[in-house]
Amino acid sequence: MTEIINQIFALDLKMKKDNNDSAKRYLERIYHEFEGMGFQIVNPVGQAYRNEMTDVEANILGDLNGKSKITKVLKPVIYHIENNESKLLQKGIVIVE
Amino acid sequence: MKTINFAIDLGTTNSLIAKYDDGTIKIYNNPLGLKQTLPSCIAFRGNRIVIGDKALDYLEKDAENICMLFKRKMGTQDTYFVPSIEKELSPIELSSLILKELKNFVNDEETLNSVVITIPASFDTIQSNATKKAGYMAGFKEVVLLQEPIAACLAFANTSNVEVREKQNWIVYDFGGGTFDVALVEVNDRELKVTDNLGDNYLGGADFDNLIVEKLIVPFLEEKLGLNNLWKDLKSKASDFKGLYFELLKLAEEAKKELSHYEETEIELDLDINGENIYEQLIIKREQFEDLIASKVEQTITFIQEVIKNNQLLNSQIERVILIGGSTYVPLIKKRISEAIGVEVNATIDPTSAVVHGAAYYAGSKPVTVSEAVEVYNTVEEDTVDFKLFYEQNTRDLEELITGKIASDKASSFRIMRKDGGYDSGVKILEDGGFSEFVPLLEGRLNLFKIQLLNSELDVVKTIDTVAINQGSYNVQGQPLPNDICMEVDDLDASATRLEKVFAKGSILPLKKKIYKTASKTILQQSTSNLIINIIEGKSKGLPSSGLSIGYIEISGKDLEEDLIKGTDIEIEIEVTESRDLKINVFLQSCDQEFKNVFSESERAISISKINMEINTVLGDVEELIKMNISEENFEYSQQLETIRVGLIETQIAASLINEDDVSDAKFQLDDKKRKLIQDFDDLTRNKFIAKEIEEYNETKKGLEYHLNKAENERFQDKYARIIENEREVINSGNKYLIRSKIKELDELYDSVIQSSDENFISYFLNLKFCTEFSNQRKADRLFQQGDQAMEKQDYKSLRHIVYGLSALLPDYEKEKQKNFKDDSRTGLS
Repeated sequence: MTEIINQIFALDLKMKKDNNDSAKRYLERIYHEFEGMGFQIVNPVGQAYRNEMTDVEANILGDLNGKSKITKVLKPVIYHIENNESKLLQKGIVIVE
Repeated sequence: MKTINFAIDLGTTNSLIAKYDDGTIKIYNNPLGLKQTLPSCIAFRGNRIVIGDKALDYLEKDAENICMLFKRKMGTQDTYFVPSIEKELSPIELSSLILKELKNFVNDEETLNSVVITIPASFDTIQSNATKKAGYMAGFKEVVLLQEPIAACLAFANTSNVEVREKQNWIVYDFGGGTFDVALVEVNDRELKVTDNLGDNYLGGADFDNLIVEKLIVPFLEEKLGLNNLWKDLKSKASDFKGLYFELLKLAEEAKKELSHYEETEIELDLDINGENIYEQLIIKREQFEDLIASKVEQTITFIQEVIKNNQLLNSQIERVILIGGSTYVPLIKKRISEAIGVEVNATIDPTSAVVHGAAYYAGSKPVTVSEAVEVYNTVEEDTVDFKLFYEQNTRDLEELITGKIASDKASSFRIMRKDGGYDSGVKILEDGGFSEFVPLLEGRLNLFKIQLLNSELDVVKTIDTVAINQGSYNVQGQPLPNDICMEVDDLDASATRLEKVFAKGSILPLKKKIYKTASKTILQQSTSNLIINIIEGKSKGLPSSGLSIGYIEISGKDLEEDLIKGTDIEIEIEVTESRDLKINVFLQSCDQEFKNVFSESERAISISKINMEINTVLGDVEELIKMNISEENFEYSQQLETIRVGLIETQIAASLINEDDVSDAKFQLDDKKRKLIQDFDDLTRNKFIAKEIEEYNETKKGLEYHLNKAENERFQDKYARIIENEREVINSGNKYLIRSKIKELDELYDSVIQSSDENFISYFLNLKFCTEFSNQRKADRLFQQGDQAMEKQDYKSLRHIVYGLSALLPDYEKEKQKNFKDDSRTGLS
């Protein structure tokens, strides 16, 4: 399942990059279905990066400091929720600047 | 006999821990992140120690405070000076930190006193003793060492069940991410001994990734972009390309993995270079990749040949080669070894975990020698550490502060981990006997934390497991909803409409939600049929007409650009802003049409015909109840109902006097009056209705259980158990629709039980004899006659069909109700 989510996520990024929102509705619906199946998909782009975040694998450019931010997300963070307990299913792969 | 059971692969780049459990091996996952492997890397950040994956973050910035590859220095006088803590650390101390971290992978209830730790075949006595010492330092009372190639052979032998009767020579070929080792192992009656080994500490799979970037991707990009020196620029610290280098390495790694399975792979290059976006595809064939890495692979083959030659053996005297290490997935390696040595090459065991796997087998056979008394002494964790914690239990922020005060000098540092694996503070030093730490929260979830208090040896002295922070649910600030907000939808089973909760009472504004429904009827273009979206504020368990309609829209056939087909999706986005404005967007999939912001609260529409319709529906129920209660001499109750009845009729009369297009607020007054009356009726009857439903539920259950207890119906027990599994929740919900749907499930099971045997129809048949309402009494009499004959002959198969025939003659109340649930009383949503 994580692979399917990754592909949808990549598709989503690609469409956003091309400023193409013709399929936005369908992508949102797919995300909604994922959520219904207990997958919480997090796109941490733009967030301040802290070394304590164990849910992402960071490729750090330059110095890591208080201002470091996640500038690109290659794979999203995926949590799976079962019996109201969440569990990390996939670490996000991100670039930090 | 108690055995050691636990084993650790203390690797140069990665480490793992596993347990032997009654014949099976369990490799533990890092509770933070998901991997089985823990990078053997430690970062010292002033008052904070970070171990594993996250330590690698500081590699570029703060290399002098990062310790890794220290296994290569085991047993030497070399120490690592760490400027940030102004301390010299020995490889033993560093290894012990890795071992302690691995202990963390194991659940808290396990006591871990004895362990098998693997070492390279090349380790001498001093290096081996150093490893043992690291084990003791990490708190183990007993450390047994095992050579890595032996562990790999054990993993192979135990998973493939080979019988070795006479002496054999095996080669263990270990090609990891950063190191290469080859060992010659003598196998004899199931005894194993390493006779020789060779290796290269600077040869690994990471070299392959670099080669793909350097020799394939970079020349391709240079040609497309007209650049020179890109490879050099990529790796230069000063260049703008550094992010690109990591991105390309990731792509190369993916391509390498693909090429292990397929003949060719495509790298999609979607990159921003010098502010310019390029999008290109690069196809790499396996052949190209193999040409690229051929010389590296040949180096490893030379090592094998040397080992064989050094031991005065011939290739033919080698029985098999066992492959381990992540790089051995590359098919060329297996192919070249079998060509060069001409023996069976075995790649059946998992290359990454083979060593720890084999070591765990060994641990499972090795008796523990430390006594129980030592174990008790070894329990460091104690309850005498007093502490106080302060934190918000509910928050809307994505970060929350946890503050702790520790009243004990036993603890000197702390560590906070989020239980879902998304956060780890690392080991930090307590300041003034306490700590304050901002922790990130996962949105909309209950976030659970585990806090460890550690002593100066970094042993855990106390684990606090009770910290839970709820993100997004409640908040002291912000405006909560005073009532549920619901949407009216069709309940086709009950042939009525019901409310579906959109936002629960108490939720904090603003709120936004997308709901996906399907059309429950077809609306043809230009027809007068309607799709109704009615948003209601009120109790979600009540009747739709008892709530306040805060948004009502009708989309009629005339508004449609195409036909709305039954069963297609309808997407409704409902938003309540902080100032309580209601926004609704409706998207009809089959028409590809969107109705945006169709109305806001100020434009509320009230339809007289809808008021009338709703009153009629309730009026019927009220009158029926009055009749029933009078006959039961329940006069007080029926008087209350009578008041409601009169009120409803008055409202109806008043409504009939206003035109549909009346502009005064008379409509709103009437709607308000209607709502209050229906609410009263609802309050008066809801509990009774629910009690009735529960009673019916219990009766249905009893009837069903009677049949289920018969031996021949045992196969239905599982399904029954599944249905009643959440019984308590359903009954306590106070939601009659939920209870009704449970009754329906039980009924369906009852039917399948009955229909599974013809004999079950006897009692049905006898019961039908008491019925008097057949639509065709003559036909029924004839069937009864035939039935009696069938009973005499014990022909139950015919009896079954007779029962079907009789049932068809009974009036169908359900159908009648469905007929009354006409098109225009439906919302069109289900």
